[in-house]
Amino acid sequence: MADRRRYVGQEILRREDDYLLRGRGRFVDDLATPQDTVHLGFVMSPHAHARIVAIDASRALAHAGVIAVYTGEDIAKLVRPIVAEIDFPGYIRHGRDAVARGEVRFVGEQVAVVVAESAYAAHDGIELVEVEYEPLPAACDLETATQAGAPLVHAAIPSNLIFKGQLSTPDFEAGFARGEHVIRERFRSGRVAGVPMEPRGCLALPDHVGDRIVFYSSTQVPHLLRTALARCLDVAESRIRVVVPEVGGGFGTKAQIYPEEFVVAALAFDLRRPVKWIQDRREELLTNIHARDHIYDVEIAFDGQGVVHGLKLRLWTNAGAYSTLPFGCTLEPTGGARMLVGPYRISSYAYETHAVATHTCPSGAYRGVAQPTCFMAIEGLMDRIGRRLGIDPAEIRLRNMVPTKDLPWVNAVGVRYDTGSFVESLQRALATVDYAGFRARQPADRLVDGKYRGIGICSFTEVSGTGTPGFRARGLIRMPGFDSGIVKVEPTGKVTAYVSHANGGQGHLTTFAQVVADALGADLADVTIVEGDTAATPYGTNTFASRSAVTGGGALIRASTKVKDKIRRIAGHMLEAAAEDIVIDGGRAFVVGVPQVGLDFARIAETAYSMNNVGLPEGDGFGLEATDFYDPPLVTMANAVHIAQVAVDAGDGRVEIERYVVVHDCGRIINPMIVNGQIHGGTVQGIGEALMEELVYDAEGQLQNATLLDYLLPTAEDVPDLEIDHIESPSIDAEGGFKGVGEGGVIGAVPAIVNAVADALAGLGVNINRKPLRPSLLVRLMKEARARKVAEVSSS
Amino acid sequence: MADVVEVTLKVNGRKAMRRVEPRLLLVDFLRHELGLKGAHVGCEQGVCGACTVLIDGRSARSCLHFAVAVQGSDIATVEGLAGRDALHPIQEAFHKAHGLQCGYCTPGFLATTVELLARNPGPDDAEIRRALTNNICRCTGYTNIVKAVRAAVAAMRAAPGAAA
Repeated sequence: MADRRRYVGQEILRREDDYLLRGRGRFVDDLATPQDTVHLGFVMSPHAHARIVAIDASRALAHAGVIAVYTGEDIAKLVRPIVAEIDFPGYIRHGRDAVARGEVRFVGEQVAVVVAESAYAAHDGIELVEVEYEPLPAACDLETATQAGAPLVHAAIPSNLIFKGQLSTPDFEAGFARGEHVIRERFRSGRVAGVPMEPRGCLALPDHVGDRIVFYSSTQVPHLLRTALARCLDVAESRIRVVVPEVGGGFGTKAQIYPEEFVVAALAFDLRRPVKWIQDRREELLTNIHARDHIYDVEIAFDGQGVVHGLKLRLWTNAGAYSTLPFGCTLEPTGGARMLVGPYRISSYAYETHAVATHTCPSGAYRGVAQPTCFMAIEGLMDRIGRRLGIDPAEIRLRNMVPTKDLPWVNAVGVRYDTGSFVESLQRALATVDYAGFRARQPADRLVDGKYRGIGICSFTEVSGTGTPGFRARGLIRMPGFDSGIVKVEPTGKVTAYVSHANGGQGHLTTFAQVVADALGADLADVTIVEGDTAATPYGTNTFASRSAVTGGGALIRASTKVKDKIRRIAGHMLEAAAEDIVIDGGRAFVVGVPQVGLDFARIAETAYSMNNVGLPEGDGFGLEATDFYDPPLVTMANAVHIAQVAVDAGDGRVEIERYVVVHDCGRIINPMIVNGQIHGGTVQGIGEALMEELVYDAEGQLQNATLLDYLLPTAEDVPDLEIDHIESPSIDAEGGFKGVGEGGVIGAVPAIVNAVADALAGLGVNINRKPLRPSLLVRLMKEARARKVAEVSSS
Repeated sequence: MADVVEVTLKVNGRKAMRRVEPRLLLVDFLRHELGLKGAHVGCEQGVCGACTVLIDGRSARSCLHFAVAVQGSDIATVEGLAGRDALHPIQEAFHKAHGLQCGYCTPGFLATTVELLARNPGPDDAEIRRALTNNICRCTGYTNIVKAVRAAVAAMRAAPGAAA
């Protein structure tokens, strides 16, 4: 009998809200600390590249409240070098000391650790540690670092090329040659930061014996963190319990494992005192992973009808100074290359992709990873094909998309799209925004009321719920892929479910409860979710890359199904019926067709836990719980379309978003309210990335905007009302039919806005092939274009 | 040992006196001396608004004031907003509109909204958005925060006095 779905699909209000709204959320800096807690402060390198000549801590040590100063050499006795163990042809492994020894490789790299009685004293101490440096030449951007003779970031990495990968489909050359037209373009994307409102931090509390620590960290990956700590500190996992308190946003930046986490844990063991470290915003911007510093050189071959016959990519990503844990630096270069074909039927494809070391902050997994930039490239090409041929760019997309009838489809790089709605999503979005009407009204010069008006489309696929094969395909041998859950019906009949994930604002306590309640046939109010604690939850890959609904949901469904089967057997035994004739719904089990005679979970649990005289069915043991694991397929592919309609002020270059439409397909929706919230947040991050956000390094590797005064983020006045619609194409490959949704907003928004601005300025002859599109850039481009026109007129 | 000064404030209607360093920031006074952890530190420079509280009824960045500099002031933090059981109508509106995700910035948004509605009980959308530029949220895209404030306006009009 099919499960009845009471809760999945419903807008259930969040369980997380009440305490957060009362100011009772316990983020890491909010946790109560014992009186003997010490506070850490990290001395950071002011140089992009330098030799550490000497460190003099005497003045710091003389300061009231400073207890100790540890240098890189001291920390190296406690923490092994951090190595991202990527196993991939073309990747060069290298280590990083948790605190630098001998040489620093980016501004912000940790050089010494001050241990103090208070956070204020720790910051005093930072100012008093005297470090003598011998500055060395630095290579701080992709263009410099790839030049012959550029300063090397690591002596063992020739040409700063940490990773180089390539792929070519069979008969690529022949396929490409079939396109009679070729467009070449270089797309450049600015470097951005994730900027969760809560910076990072951790608190390690040793037990009274000094043998074990409870390690609180603002992280997305408790299990991976615990494994990394155990390895680098060379202690058994049993000595470390990682607990994730409330997390103030992560967006991937907290899915990396950072040097400070090793130092805090190591010093808690070493000092046998509680150790606390809270990052400030400058540190956050200088040292938390950066992303999206990419160059895409693309060539696309197509025929006179706009049908694409071949696509070629050369991609360079700026990896920064070190390959980070746990993803290494291959995530962006492999992601951008593997996702470029998107929803399109492009079978002749070749890429060459590179991760380049530079003397800048390491890069890593920020929401969307390389997808916002690779879709900026492919969607920018679709528009260019349209402009070249005089065919509408929406029509070009429709001519190249994989139609729904051809699904499942395996794309050029071997990724399977099981279900989806590429064409339907685009058509619905075009209708909603009245695309045809807009085009009919749009004058050739795009100028209406002193503003250039344009419309931009992004049709995209969103990688979500990556399983083990997906990580192996990208060289990540230490990344498991699965997640897991334990579902228990407790002796009172209430349900507790433990899941390997960690909550950081996604509403897991609510959505996972919906999934378990339906899968088990329980009452929602009776289901409690526990996560983010390695002592309570089973192992898993944790929360990033739009995976929790797919992997956590899948694991919980499987574990719930096992428990439900046992409930059926016990209920059948108690009701003297066959187990297969038992129906479970609303926390009760009854014989099919006789709902009035049933047993609630409490009665069944009494039997399972031997608290009555019934006895268990033959072959069943005590207890009423099950553990299961779920490893999804290669990836679980969601899809969506974003359309932005913009006005570019012809005078001051400011971009106003006048309409914004999203049609999204993440398979079966668990909670529409939360799904829409994810789309809102992601889209606005994408608006920031497209129009204002960029980390700017100067040639010496100084980050010019390491404060929120200088690194602009969108505010409530920068964003339009978002019109969101859904199509549900449940996955047939993934348990539960769920697909991920966390990253779609940002993936769609960046290309849609860039294309809209490009469309607005197309009449002027401006070529938009980069982001962010700040007013200063647009004013310059418009001025140059007008000057060209004047020159053309006067020379003709 | 650094000099200490005696700081006396009225916080959520109750007198609070502590001897602290003169350089202690108001946000640290509230959080670490009084244990009121609702206001959060997000940027230390008065940009993000996560530390916003009301000082004598006006929204203010508690990361930009020394505790000693607001000696004698009346401070309202998020902890004083709700009753023991019922949420304040603004909090209730944030809950129902899904106006928060991670919740780190939320106490600051609530303070801004309390001030907005005290000054202007009927703001239009543009006025709401203008007021909310006081704070940065990285999760919600502001969409549902704007909805929540609209809903709070309606709820407080329907039941005036509930906000007192």
